[in-house]
Amino acid sequence: MAQRKSKSGPSKSDREFVSEAEEILEVMRSDIADLGDQRDRGGEIDPDLVNRLFRSAHSLKALAGLFRFDPIQDLAHRLEDILDGLRLGRVATDDLVMGLIDDSTQMFATLLGHIGDSDAMEHLSEAITSLTHRIENATREPEPRDEEFDSLRLDPSLLRALTEYEEHRLRENIRRGRCIALVSATFEIISFEEGLSELSQAIRDTGEVLSTLPTPGETPESQINFSLLVATEFSPEELASRIDFPTASVESVLDPSPAPTTQPPPAATPARAEAPAQAEAPPEPEISVEIAESEEGLHEGDLERAPGGVQIESLKSISETVRVDIRKLDDLMNLVGELVIQRGAMGELISQLSLSASASRLGNEFAKVHKALDRKLRELQSAVLEVRMVPLRQVFEKVSRVVRRLRRDLAKDVRLDIRGADTELDKLIVESLVDPLMHVVRNSLDHAIEASEERIAAGKSVVGCISIEAFQRGNHVVIAVKDDGRGIDLAALRARAEAAGLVSPGEALTEKESLDLIFAPGVSTREEVTETSGRGVGMDVVRSNLTALGGVVEVESIAGRGTTISMTLPITLAIIQSLIVRVGNQRFAVPLNAVMETLMIDVSEIQHSEGRELLNLRGDAIQVRRLEQLFDLPSVAPNQKPYVIVIGMGDQRVGLLVDRLESQQDTVIKPIQGPISAVRGIAGATDLGDQMPVLVLDVSALVEDAVRRREAA
Amino acid sequence: MGSGSETSSWKELARAAAVVEDASAASEALRQLLMFSIADTPYAVPVESVREIVRIRPITPIPRVSQCVRGVISLRGEVLQVIDLRVRLDLPRAEVTRATRIIVISVREGSLAGLLVDAVTQVLRVPESALMPQAGSETDAVEALCVRGKQFVSLINLERILDVVSDH
Repeated sequence: MAQRKSKSGPSKSDREFVSEAEEILEVMRSDIADLGDQRDRGGEIDPDLVNRLFRSAHSLKALAGLFRFDPIQDLAHRLEDILDGLRLGRVATDDLVMGLIDDSTQMFATLLGHIGDSDAMEHLSEAITSLTHRIENATREPEPRDEEFDSLRLDPSLLRALTEYEEHRLRENIRRGRCIALVSATFEIISFEEGLSELSQAIRDTGEVLSTLPTPGETPESQINFSLLVATEFSPEELASRIDFPTASVESVLDPSPAPTTQPPPAATPARAEAPAQAEAPPEPEISVEIAESEEGLHEGDLERAPGGVQIESLKSISETVRVDIRKLDDLMNLVGELVIQRGAMGELISQLSLSASASRLGNEFAKVHKALDRKLRELQSAVLEVRMVPLRQVFEKVSRVVRRLRRDLAKDVRLDIRGADTELDKLIVESLVDPLMHVVRNSLDHAIEASEERIAAGKSVVGCISIEAFQRGNHVVIAVKDDGRGIDLAALRARAEAAGLVSPGEALTEKESLDLIFAPGVSTREEVTETSGRGVGMDVVRSNLTALGGVVEVESIAGRGTTISMTLPITLAIIQSLIVRVGNQRFAVPLNAVMETLMIDVSEIQHSEGRELLNLRGDAIQVRRLEQLFDLPSVAPNQKPYVIVIGMGDQRVGLLVDRLESQQDTVIKPIQGPISAVRGIAGATDLGDQMPVLVLDVSALVEDAVRRREAA
Repeated sequence: MGSGSETSSWKELARAAAVVEDASAASEALRQLLMFSIADTPYAVPVESVREIVRIRPITPIPRVSQCVRGVISLRGEVLQVIDLRVRLDLPRAEVTRATRIIVISVREGSLAGLLVDAVTQVLRVPESALMPQAGSETDAVEALCVRGKQFVSLINLERILDVVSDH
């Protein structure tokens, strides 16, 4: 059978690769964020961190090689180079290097996103090549310096045996003015590992083991001698008494020297109070580092010790969680959804059964069992929904990374406050949130936060503040992005809207309507299109993205003080209660969370004004829309007593006119697949058990359309 | 043709009715095409795109979309749009009969769509050489003509069929 070359996407093995690679990349990103923080604080860089990054790049390289993804393997190799350079002190953690590391991980993410798409990979290869060159330029090796070890009273053969990394650590410790000592001990060959490990551990509590070397010498055949090169704050005598290893001898190789040459005084206090500080040297955070003898895994001890209080949490969360393919969760969700539908169908049958007199006793038994089943099913439903919930933290972390980069690019001093990262949402919603959230934050950073001079002139603090706060409110989650920037310029916004033909000059707008203009397509309050946020196409896309998720976005702003953008989302889209209504001979489902009330009216109660139909609802005039008009349904027989379903979103209300209310059901909203991407007013479809799909209304779109002044005829 | 079950997998159809059109084409690559008829005219789609074939079932109309989209159906939990090929090919509408079928195809990015056809006939195996590419046909929907004895079977260009629909 002839197979046409399919661009249909990644294969199963591709997906496996992506899944594993993404896990490695996640850990790397977290580490890089920590690295950035350490560097910003001006303290020491945790060598463990750099090591871990190096090992991650190495794993990525190996993984890519296994799956034959050459561009990824190549890039991983370069990243490995640069990290190796960092690790060995050949390369400094300056802006250039941090930028290269950031760009590389970004490129990985892009590459991973396009696996299976050969065209995209080809397009990317040029970008990869240029990145590769930049890395090569940055990692050129400096000339080796030999003289520095001359002052050590060490056997040259020992020095030669040191690896480049060990040399680097030795150099570092010398620079810090530590005492370098050689601890030698002899062990029985059959049991030397235990003894050596005990000795190493004892030393580690008081200093850093730079290298462990078996030494030749006069030892009986059953024994073996080891020398450990150690750097410590203590003198050799104190070291000897602290490690308390009677069979070990300690020699000084280099005496501790006075105050180290560089290194600014760091803020963190040393981990151990009794560490004697050098007379003139400023106090420094203690670094107890384990040199990993093997390449895999971290040692137990690493988790606890961290300089400057940097928490290495990533390892812990990995061991407590299980990675699940989101598709499996979708399948699970679908199964539960199907069960929900069957339960609904069963409920129908049971009520019919209990009505029939002869079967009533059986019917009652049946009803009892059904109730129990119903309870358990609801529990299952909740449990599965729980599984799909993930904290917003991941999204927020992505956003902070971007902010960090943008801050550099824009040269703006901004603080990012994040609260509520533990708030949970359905995983799919969270994934879909990344883009709109990113855009909103970028907007704040780029447009809203003023340059330092402007801020000072306005009496604000030099450092701008953007805060992202997430919290749960009933059935919804609210994410508010607030900045203390210059606020939205309503006049300029309006001028833009008029220029775009969305508002007629002289038309009166309430403040809310004026602010809402930022969501209109084609409106932007900046003269130039900036690279970071581009044209004003952003906010209308943010709104439509949110609407597609069943949410809303609102904006508040005070000129000169700041702007707040609030995104409200349902906690989960998966299974929701709906009101099934009938219009003519077609049924529709209205999500219950948007229904405020339902009432039966007489058609004569409907009043008309300005071409619109209105209803007096306890003193408020609400607009009434007929579903058959909204959806161009074939004309229905006039109904004297229709029902009105009052739906609301935010503080807008609209009444939908329908013929009958049929039932209230648990529904699973399924996306409508096919070539037509979206129909305005329809959120999806659901199956009520009789195989005929029922369209689910998009309440917020309907409300919006009704409320907006300009409507399509 | 037509099993008694609710849905007949295209694989079964292929097995039951595959016909090797050209024995001499051993060295040439063979295409497998699912053949169906609309208004007594034979058409085909590539078998790789076909997910399954189902009997006609209730179709819920979607408001405010092009006439080409008859509506949506529910298929084992998934909801997909059904395209009325008659409308798409500018042919007059017809009544649904017992032979009417919906061919479920897989479109870009893994989502599904249904094609409403009068009847599904068989699976053809033809060498690439039996296909004559067409450019600029009336409705742009046919990408090649397949010679089959005295008949021409029109091979539908799925991408174009679906693209135009979304522009309506």
